[in-house]
Amino acid sequence: MSASNATIYLKAEQNVELQSDDVYLKDIGKMTCSDEAILAKVKTIKLHRFKEGESKRQVISVLKIIEEIEKLYPNVTVENLGESDVLIERINVNRHKGPIQFAKIVFVSAISFFGTAFTIMAFHNDIGINGVFSRIYEMVTGQVADGYSILEFSYSIGLAAGIIIFFNHIGGRRITKDPTPIEVEMRVYERDVNKALIETADREGKTIDVQ
Amino acid sequence: MFSKWIFLAVLGISSGLVVSGGVFTVLLAVGLIPRFAGKMHIARHVFVLEEMVVFGTLVGNFLSVFSDYGRLGEWILSRQLFGQGTTNGIWHFISTILLILFGFFSGIFVGCLALAIAEMLDTIPIFSRRVGFRHGLGISILAVAIGKVLGSLIYFTQEFFLYSG
Repeated sequence: MSASNATIYLKAEQNVELQSDDVYLKDIGKMTCSDEAILAKVKTIKLHRFKEGESKRQVISVLKIIEEIEKLYPNVTVENLGESDVLIERINVNRHKGPIQFAKIVFVSAISFFGTAFTIMAFHNDIGINGVFSRIYEMVTGQVADGYSILEFSYSIGLAAGIIIFFNHIGGRRITKDPTPIEVEMRVYERDVNKALIETADREGKTIDVQ
Repeated sequence: MFSKWIFLAVLGISSGLVVSGGVFTVLLAVGLIPRFAGKMHIARHVFVLEEMVVFGTLVGNFLSVFSDYGRLGEWILSRQLFGQGTTNGIWHFISTILLILFGFFSGIFVGCLALAIAEMLDTIPIFSRRVGFRHGLGISILAVAIGKVLGSLIYFTQEFFLYSG
């Protein structure tokens, strides 16, 4: 090996999903180096192999990665700009397809649909919305409301407009290019889960780490 | 008269806007939908779920605000849409299925919502830290679930709702 003093810049990702059993360094993040030969060699370092009956989820410490690189090139400096622990997951390709997937979407859609319908109805029932409306109508017009008034209609329009503005889309069309609130929340949730998994592995001593 | 109508319209629209903002901020802060999507590995289709949230709210709003226009069963029975004489039987069957669907799915939603709110307020972590237990978190969650089911059954069988309000 040449006694090169190059620096490898590594940007490790927090969560990596793999479809093969072997985990190479190039899978866990992006990296760059002024010496292309070192870069090409380093990228093919094998970090882990998922065995049968073993957990499909592993956490690799960046220290372990640095150790592996230094075994190969003792004089190389490794600069990590990304995460300090990487969660690697072995997934099956066809897990995300097929009728089961469709059934799941239908199931969760039904929960979302009926659940929110129930929530808003329970809320309206709780505050006695028709009573509030007829009282306001009486106060403003001085007459007793017979049946539904403009108040109910405008409230419904306002509610619909509020939801559409809030969620930023209607009927599959986005109003602005921003991600929708649930898409944002989804990422936050994902990050929290990854962090919890990494910390649990660390506490149980299951992280693939230097000795 | 006209100015009063405009006043009422503005009042209605603005209260609708604020109510939807409020209700959905709570729903979102609890993070229920992302969790469902995460559990079911359908994060890529979260868009569909949001649409369902929107339409669910619109339908629920219609049924509770304009409840006089939402009497589907009465309307179908009075017109005998599925033929004279047979409608009652058929509609009884369909409406039972609809009720089961509504009850089942809204029950899941409310059950998740109740625990999600408890979790958001860190009740369980704080409590388990105070009493200092390390194992049996699963059992305590199961106990919460059983307690909720029992409470709900007692509520309905003992007709608590007759005493409310």
